[in-house]
Amino acid sequence: MFEFLNQPEVIKIIVTIGSMILFFVGLFGLLTRKHIIKIFISIAIMESSIFLLFIGLTFKIDSIAPILDSAHKDVATMNDPIPHAMILTAIVIGMAVLALGVSFAIEYFKLTGKTDIDEMNEMRH
Amino acid sequence: MSLKREIPTTTLSGFALSGLLVLTILSILLQNIPNKIQTAGNALLKLNTTEGVANAVTTVVVYFRGFDTLGEIAVLFIASLGIGLMLHSNTKCNIKAESNFMLQTASRLLFPIIMLFGTYVMIYGHLSPGGGFQGGVIIASGVLLLLISHKAFEVPHSVIVALETFAGVSYVLIGLIGLLVLDVFLGNFLPHDISQMGLLLSGGIIPLIYIIVGIKVGSEMSMIVQNLIKRDYDV
Amino acid sequence: MTGLIILGTFMGLIIVSFAAIVQKKLADSIILFMGVGLGSVVLFFIFKAPDVALTEAVIGVGISSLIFLMALKHLGEQK
Repeated sequence: MFEFLNQPEVIKIIVTIGSMILFFVGLFGLLTRKHIIKIFISIAIMESSIFLLFIGLTFKIDSIAPILDSAHKDVATMNDPIPHAMILTAIVIGMAVLALGVSFAIEYFKLTGKTDIDEMNEMRH
Repeated sequence: MSLKREIPTTTLSGFALSGLLVLTILSILLQNIPNKIQTAGNALLKLNTTEGVANAVTTVVVYFRGFDTLGEIAVLFIASLGIGLMLHSNTKCNIKAESNFMLQTASRLLFPIIMLFGTYVMIYGHLSPGGGFQGGVIIASGVLLLLISHKAFEVPHSVIVALETFAGVSYVLIGLIGLLVLDVFLGNFLPHDISQMGLLLSGGIIPLIYIIVGIKVGSEMSMIVQNLIKRDYDV
Repeated sequence: MTGLIILGTFMGLIIVSFAAIVQKKLADSIILFMGVGLGSVVLFFIFKAPDVALTEAVIGVGISSLIFLMALKHLGEQK
């Protein structure tokens, strides 16, 4: 009954609009939250939305994973391996930068005891 | 009461910029609906049947774009350096509590299984989904399990330093040997026969490099996890 | 059938992520962020990308959530 949802154009529209709305939700959280850890969580949600956009835009309906073995030897129906490799690198680097930022926040809390970004104004005076 | 509290200028300008981003992505999408998105992926897949290993993503990460993987390892190293600088603690004063008897026994049973699974994912990375990054982080999660459940367990600092140094130096050394033999940095100088696709010893230097990446990532993530958990309180 | 599953998972992801940033306590926010990671793994599996799904499952749900939980432990529970 929902056969019109399986066309490639409709799937591309669904993926693009869905990941853009997810990006918006993360951006809203980044701009309006006051706790520093919630700001980091919003940044991580924004990164996840971009990964979904990249993999979803090159998705064909009747495709298989890009692994060759004795049973699957034709490369015409396989997925594209280049975005997979780029997103792998991006996931690892995003995690590393997030860990560094959180360790900065922990050290700052140990020094001054503040977690509210409206109170972190030592450099204004 | 200032004017800034009445009009949220920051939030409004942020949403205006986001609207611009939405319009850009929508225009890109509307031009590409009749299947015009093409990358070099199809040509790369055809090249993989004559020159690579069974897993096409591993060939792209290690062999066709091997220099980018070297840069990614450098980024991980700098992040680990920064975390170790901020959070490293040297005291013997341990803040971990004594855990339950069930947790101690179960973690001792699960630890070798997790280590074996991580090594399997790392070594068979060129034949099935997996690879160095995934296997290294699985090994680090096994170390995390032991760190949580046992009060006096810690990974010695010299072991992690030795593993990480060996892995990092040997990656560049393999690249330089490829430069000497084949005039290409990270060239494939070991014998790689196309008739051996699907066996464990195939693809030349590709499984070797992925194992080295796995050792480096595993030891670095263990160091990050240990720095985050062990901490002294001088309050 | 595939299009319906993708639409449903995206709607679930948006609802869970919006709930993750409007919570009052920090612990609930971190647990709902783990739900975003889980939905992301399911979507990568539907898009036939096994390497990316494995990496996101291990790093996004395992290590990233551990980092936030350690931050919660060191910072204490505040608003």
